[in-house]
Order: sequence, then structure tokens, then C-alpha cells
Amino acid sequence: MGKFIIIGERIHCISPSINKAMQERDPEPILKRAREQIEAGATYLDVNIGPSEKGGEDLMKWAVTTIQQACDNVPLCLDTSNKKAIEAGISVYNRSKGKPIVNSADAGDRIENIDLAAANEAIVLALCSKAGISSDNDERMGYCQELLERGMGLGLEPEDIWFDPLFLVVKGMQDKQMEVLNFIKDLSDMGLNSTGGLSNISNMMPKHIRPIMDSAMVAMAMFCGLTSAIANPQDLRLMETIRSSDVIKSNTLYADSYLEI
Amino acid sequence: MPFKQVPQKFNAKINALTIGVGEKEITLGGENVFPFYTFDAPIENSPKIGVEISDLGAYTDVPGIAAYYAGSDTLPEIAKRASEMPGADFLAISLDGAHPDNGNRSVEDTAALVKSISDAVDIPLVIEGSRNIEKDAKLFEKIAEALQGKNVLFLSAREENYKSVSAAAAMAYGQKIGAESAVDINLAKQLNVLISQMGVKTESVAMNLGSAAAGYGFEYVATTFDRVKSAALAQNDNMLQMPIITPVSSEVWTVKESIVSEEDFPDWGPAEARGVSMEISTAAACLAAGSNAVILRHPESVATVSKLIADLM
Amino acid sequence: MALKGLDIFKLTPKTNCKDCGNPTCMAFAMKVAQGAVELDKCPHLSDDVKAQLGDATAPPMKKIEVGSGDDKFTLGGETVLFRHDKTFVSKNFFATWVCEGCFDGKLPLIEKVDYDRLGERMYVEFLNVVFTGDVEKYKELVAKAAKTGRGIILDVGDLDAAKAVIDAAGSRVILNGANASNYEAFSALATEKNAVLGVSGASLDELYDTVAALEKLGNKNLVLDVTGDTVKATFANAVQLRRAALKDNDRTFGYPSIVNLHKIAQGDANMQTALASLFVLKYGSIIIMDEMEYSQALPLYGLRQNIYTDPQKPMKVEPGIYPLGGADENSVCVTTVDFALTYFVVSGELERSGVPLNLLISDAGGYSVLTAWAAGKLSAGSIAKFFAEFEIESKIKSRTLVIPGKVAVLKGEIEEKLAGWKVVVAPNEAVELVKFFREFKA
Repeated sequence: MGKFIIIGERIHCISPSINKAMQERDPEPILKRAREQIEAGATYLDVNIGPSEKGGEDLMKWAVTTIQQACDNVPLCLDTSNKKAIEAGISVYNRSKGKPIVNSADAGDRIENIDLAAANEAIVLALCSKAGISSDNDERMGYCQELLERGMGLGLEPEDIWFDPLFLVVKGMQDKQMEVLNFIKDLSDMGLNSTGGLSNISNMMPKHIRPIMDSAMVAMAMFCGLTSAIANPQDLRLMETIRSSDVIKSNTLYADSYLEI
Repeated sequence: MPFKQVPQKFNAKINALTIGVGEKEITLGGENVFPFYTFDAPIENSPKIGVEISDLGAYTDVPGIAAYYAGSDTLPEIAKRASEMPGADFLAISLDGAHPDNGNRSVEDTAALVKSISDAVDIPLVIEGSRNIEKDAKLFEKIAEALQGKNVLFLSAREENYKSVSAAAAMAYGQKIGAESAVDINLAKQLNVLISQMGVKTESVAMNLGSAAAGYGFEYVATTFDRVKSAALAQNDNMLQMPIITPVSSEVWTVKESIVSEEDFPDWGPAEARGVSMEISTAAACLAAGSNAVILRHPESVATVSKLIADLM
Repeated sequence: MALKGLDIFKLTPKTNCKDCGNPTCMAFAMKVAQGAVELDKCPHLSDDVKAQLGDATAPPMKKIEVGSGDDKFTLGGETVLFRHDKTFVSKNFFATWVCEGCFDGKLPLIEKVDYDRLGERMYVEFLNVVFTGDVEKYKELVAKAAKTGRGIILDVGDLDAAKAVIDAAGSRVILNGANASNYEAFSALATEKNAVLGVSGASLDELYDTVAALEKLGNKNLVLDVTGDTVKATFANAVQLRRAALKDNDRTFGYPSIVNLHKIAQGDANMQTALASLFVLKYGSIIIMDEMEYSQALPLYGLRQNIYTDPQKPMKVEPGIYPLGGADENSVCVTTVDFALTYFVVSGELERSGVPLNLLISDAGGYSVLTAWAAGKLSAGSIAKFFAEFEIESKIKSRTLVIPGKVAVLKGEIEEKLAGWKVVVAPNEAVELVKFFREFKA
């Protein structure tokens, strides 16, 4: 098994400074966050440009080129509901460090993003949901089957579809947590890759609690077979937990300095 | 329906490490496939062979080795002769005579001796230590200074002396170093981390992961090499992507099979043939498991292993 | 051919009935493709579909038996490409290449190199008997070869010759002669005579097709001769076959291999030693050499024994008294653990010292010195017990016992338990033993 993959989540248009930089095509604020995340251990960087219904294609092209050129072609996860923008981003994407990731498809309106990924030899994040949160693992697995069948039918390798069980907030859905973990185990037993927005679970918790809760969840999820997460790599406790779990799973060879590399 | 070949080409690769200067310089590593898997992707740099001599002379207790060096009396002459051995890519000098229990030659005298060897040959040099950790640190510093610009490789930096070896040989004088760990994969990785944290570029480092003669726990060697190459290529672990250099001769020429006499073991036949066979078998196994360079002594072994490499490339 | 999850899924009922214990038919199909679940778990598959998918659940590499009963040779059955992933299960065998004109000359060496190493018999297990044109003489040769008690590889592409000699080859026989043009007849003969069939091809594609055709005929008792025109091609073939089977689940190539060094390094004994070493590590099941000299056997059998050791089970030496360097009852005793590597290193150094010594090996669970000590397997008590069981005091007159430096702490306790013995502590490292014993005064 390879090391756990962290998709750095901090280039997101919801952040006012990033949004402003995107609108003004000002590279520095974006590159700063890119470099910080890479330095902290991110493998992929998520680039969320929001819905960007207007001008999304240009914006994504600009973002992909700007970040990849400045950061040694770091692999990117293209995050927008605008399909054309994703395609535009892929058209200028450099694959030397890894395939682009399409973020994201689901079993509902966005199922065509599977086709987009297949047509462009990309990886696709596939949410096991249709509209809203799946009610149980049977429903999740049903969507998984639908997405998988469609993808493989179009020639996608199963390992290029990263299934997202949808992490659920503990405050409010505490009783669903084990279900999500069991679903990750099911995916892992099928030999499939998985990912998700990890920090969802600690939403609305006090700030100092969040890294602790996220770390516990990532360790348990990695035990169940989670292969990747969309997360903040600058959360030191989380990263230390991931690195330690990688050692325990033999995803990487131990050395005394394993936390530093 | 034809066979569907699935090549195993990795996105990661072994670092390319160059030693020596000029026309005879050599590069170890650089491949992105398992050893000799040329059917997956081309391997640019074939594994290399070093011929080993001691700073006390050639290892003439073996008749075939003695015959090869007959007529070469001084150390520079012996070194030159070694460098001309068919199949030799580099020269490895073991500083036996500097060991405190074995003559304890001074650091200055040893450096001068090695300089005289360096002046006599044009192939790259690998300087093996005296097997005394404190002495090696001092020896390497002085020799690194004396051989500035020759781009030599020092074997080895160990857990106990990597700081001084890294600082002196690699950083002050720009030479290459080999990180030595005895068949301990976690230490191998840690040592590489520590050396790179000192500021030595990973491209300046080779690994001596240890060795064993065939039959003497070689499973540990094979497994260590397998795991290191898997981590380097499949997991893209850049703290294990250094090329592997393996001193084979020092392991094989001391085991029972290579030294007991034919009188004591009449069935076994002449000792020399057994020693050569041990050296060839162990070297071939090391290369199959992932050595990017092996160090040998006997001209027959060098010829055979050189042909093996050529035939597989 | 390797089946993908989707191929299997298409043949499932797609009802998601969960009778197989999986949430969906897709989940079931994906697990079957990985070999994690057996096809039989789904009660709704028709026999036709099961037959179609049967291969997907078979082990990736077949275990082939040459002969039957206690003296059979077992080849293949491997599940991993690297021993650290689990373990290798069937060691490779060595064969000597013999012909009509050279058999008598080679026989003495074949019989001579036959010894024990750590309880394993080291000898040439097979003879590769080549057909050179005269059927009658071939029959004689095969009979002579069979008399040596070794397994027989009939290296023959001529069907009539094969038919004439196969009965003379005994029960442990590989008929190595099938190829794209003759496989049907050869397969019929091999099946009739209960022989393993050796298959070769001009290319991997041709070999693949021939194996697929043989499987269709129902013959899955095969070994594949991967010898190519060159060293490079042969190595590529050996690796590609094993990898296709174990990594890519392509069971058509899931058979043991034959590598014939006579064809790619004829007459060059050193080169054959080098190549045999390579193929011990990388996927030769039977390695055919011109000869197996003692000098070649020593490293090759040692290497094979190492590589085919189960990583979970350390290799052990039998407990007992090992006299070294011409030792007799008056020679000093040295003791260490029964871990094979420790034994080899220590005994090698002791031999090198030239001093006659009795090496006493007690049962320490196959651990190294410190591990055995920490686990309580090497203690004053265990040594005293060994002395009693093996009646050391009546067999040896010397009363000096040298113990490993790493367990110096045991000195006093051992002296208490073994009255009349003087216990001496050796250096910590084996490399220091030569000097130690040369200077040693009992």
C-alpha cells in the first residue's frame, strides 16, 4: 500500500483573501497557501473556485498554470460544479507528478463528472450519495455500485474512482459514525480507494477540540482502510497521527525521524 | 489471444550518483524499475563492478589473485593493475593497514598513500574504511582533502560517525559518501535522513546495506534489498532512493567454503575454485536483489559478473 | 486471463439479494476478482457461469507434483513475488544436463555431490536427459538416468522417441517437448503416462496461446520452459510469467518454470553459477546446469536454503557436539545457540582459528544469542540440561567451557550448575574469535 494521501483543502474561494486573489488574478496569496500546504505534507492541493458559472474556464486555467508552474507541478484536485471549468483546467494540467482529480461526482446531478474523468484519464472523487445524506450503508453501497459500473464501463480503472462516504458531523449525528467507518471497511474490502472531507466531523466543536477529534477519526478510518482525505495539512496533530498510522500500516518504512520527513 | 504484458514502471526512481571524473566516471542508479527489469523500461546505467585491493597490497593469499598482480610491487603499480582488470569499473581500496590493531598507519601517511594510488589510476575510487569507526572519521577527512576534485566515494558513514564523515568528506570537499547499516532497514532509512538533515544532498549519498555470503543468512540481505527497492520505487520514499553499493569480497573470502584446504575436505576440491564460486554466486544474488554496484577481488569473478551484467542489460 | 470486477459483475444476477453476505453484487464481484471471496458464496450463479468464472477463484499459481507419495517433487504454489510478503513455499530444484555421449563421464560427480546441510539433502534432484536422434540409445540412456534415483526431464521434441522411452523414465518424469505445433499429441502422451508436461514457445505470446490451448484440452499438469535465445530473454520470461500470475492474476502463466542454462551459457561453469544464483532469487523452478561441481553446489544450495527459509521460522541447527579443526575429547568446549546463522558464523571463525575446539550447540529455540537469553531459552539451566541430556561429561574430558561474550552474566551461574567446569567469556563479536582462540590458554 502507498502512503495516505492528503488533499490540502486551504485554497478555497470561501476564504475572502483567496477569493479576492482569484478575482484579481493575484498569484501570491494563493501560492503562499500552496507552498505552506506542500511544506506541511500535502500530496495533492484542492483548488476550489466555487461555482464560477461565469469566467470559470479562464479562472481554472489560470489557477492550474500558476500553481503548477510555481510549485514543481504539484498535482491538483479541481474543485467546482462548473464542468467546463474542470475540462479547461485539465487542458493545461501537467501530469508529471500525478493525474488530475475531478472534484466531484455523485449518483445524482453530478454523475456525468464520471464520464468527464474517464474521457480525460483523470481521477474522480465519487460521493456515495444522490441528494443529501444517504440513510444507511445499503444506500451508500447502491450508489457506489452505480458509480463504479458507470466508470468501469467507460474504461476508468476502479482505483481511479475515490469513493467518498461523506463524513458526518458528530454533533448531531454521533450515532452514524460507526456506520461510516464500516462503509469505509466495505470499500477497502472491495479493493477501492476512498477519501472525504474529514473535518466535517468536528464542525461546530470548540476550536481546540477539532484537531483531537479529527485525529482520532483519521486513525480509526485508516484502520478501516481509508486511503486519502481532504484536510488541512497544517494541522500538526492530524499530520502526526496520519504519519504514525502510515508507519503502523507499513505504508512507509519506519525511521526514528519519521515525523520530520 | 496474446499475452497481455503489464509493465511495472514506477513514477519514482533511484537517484543517479556519479563518481570519478572525466572519461572514466561512472553513474550508479537512475532506474525506475526493479533490478534488470529492462522489459519494463530501459535501464540507463548498468550496475558497476569495483575491484578491491588493500592498502597493504593485493589479496595474494589466493593464487589466482597473486598471479594476476605478479610483477606489480608498489601500491600504485598494484592499483594500476587492478584498474586494468577486464570488467573493472572502479577501484576500491580497503584501509586495512590503518586499523589500530593492524599496523595503525598514521592518518597523514595513509592519505599520502591513497593519493599515490589516485595519481596512478584513471578509474573512479571508492575508499573503504579501516573498520575502526573513530579512525575512519579522521582518515576520510584527510583523504577527502588530498583527493579534492576526484569525486571519490567514501565507504562508509555509520551511525556513530556520520556527522564527521558528512561534514568533512561530503560538505567540505564535495566528495560522495556511502551510508552503512548492517541489514537493518529502519536504521538505513534513519541514517539517510540524518545525513540529509546535515545538509548533504541526497544525490551525493549511496547506501551500503550490508551483505552476507551465500548460505550465511543471505535471506536477510535479499529481503532488505527487496524492501528498500520497493519502498524507493512503489512508495516513492526519497529517503531510500540512494543507489546500493555492496562489498561482496570481504564477506565471501572469509567463510569456510572459501578457505578450508582440499586436504581437510578432499571432496570439495581446490579452495580457490570454491572461493571464486562463492564470490560469483553472492555477487549475482546481490545484483539480482538490487545492488547498483558490487565490490569483488578475483579476476575470474570480475570477468563472469561483468559478463552477467552485460548479458542482462 | 485475469478477470476484472466488472466482468464478473456482469455475470451476477444484479439483484443485490445479499445471500452471499455482501451488500451488493458489485461488492461481491470486486471481492471475487481480488480472490478475497469464493465464487460459491453466491447461490444464484448457473453452472455455466461458474465454469466461465472458475479460474478467477483458483490459486494464482498451480502446485505441480512430479511423482507421487513420499518421494515426489513439489513445484510452484507460490503466492507472493517477494519472500517478505509472506514466504516462498516450494524451493527450486537443480538438474544436470546429460546426453548419450557424456552421461558416464558426468555420473561420478552427480553421485558425489550429495550432502546434508541443516537437515536438508543437497544434491541434483533432476537429470535433464536430452534426445540426440537415436531412439534405442535414448532409451538406454533414460534407463541409466532413472537408475540414479533422480527425477527425469525428458528433453525431447520427437513424439515417437518420447513414446518409446517414457516408461523407462520411472514415475517422476517431466516430458519437456510440447510446443505450438505438437502440443495435442504430447499432451495425450503425458496424460496417459501421468507425466508432467513441459511446454515451450518461440515467444511469450506463443507460449501463452499454447498453454491456453492445453488448458482447454483439460491438461493443467504443466511446467513452462522459459529458456529463450539469450540470457536477457530468459530472465525476462521467468519474471514476466511469475509476475503475470501473482501480481496480475493471469492464471494462464501460473505454472512453475524450467530454465535451461545449457542453452544460454553452455560450457561456462562460472557463468552458470552466476545465472543459477539469479534464477534462485528470481523465479526459476527447475534450473538445468551442465554440471554441478562441489564448488558450485556450496554457494548455490546455501543460497537456496536461505531464500526458501520461511521468514516466520528461523533456521535451526541440531543440538549436539560439533568437533572442529580436528578436535577430540581433550579439546576445549565452546557453546552458542542453535540459530543457523550464528552457528555458521561462529563455526566458520572457529575453523579459521585453526584451533581444535568442540562446539556445543544447545536448543535455544532458533534465536540469536541475546534474543534467546532474553526469552529464557539460553540460560545456565538450559546449558546444564543440555550437558545432562548429551552426557557431555562422559564424552569430553576437557573441563573448560567458553560462552558467548554477550551472555557474560551467565558465567557465575553456569559454574554453580556445572561443578568442576571453568567458564571463560569469549569476545562480543564473532570476528574477534580467531584472535581470541589463537591466544587462548586453557
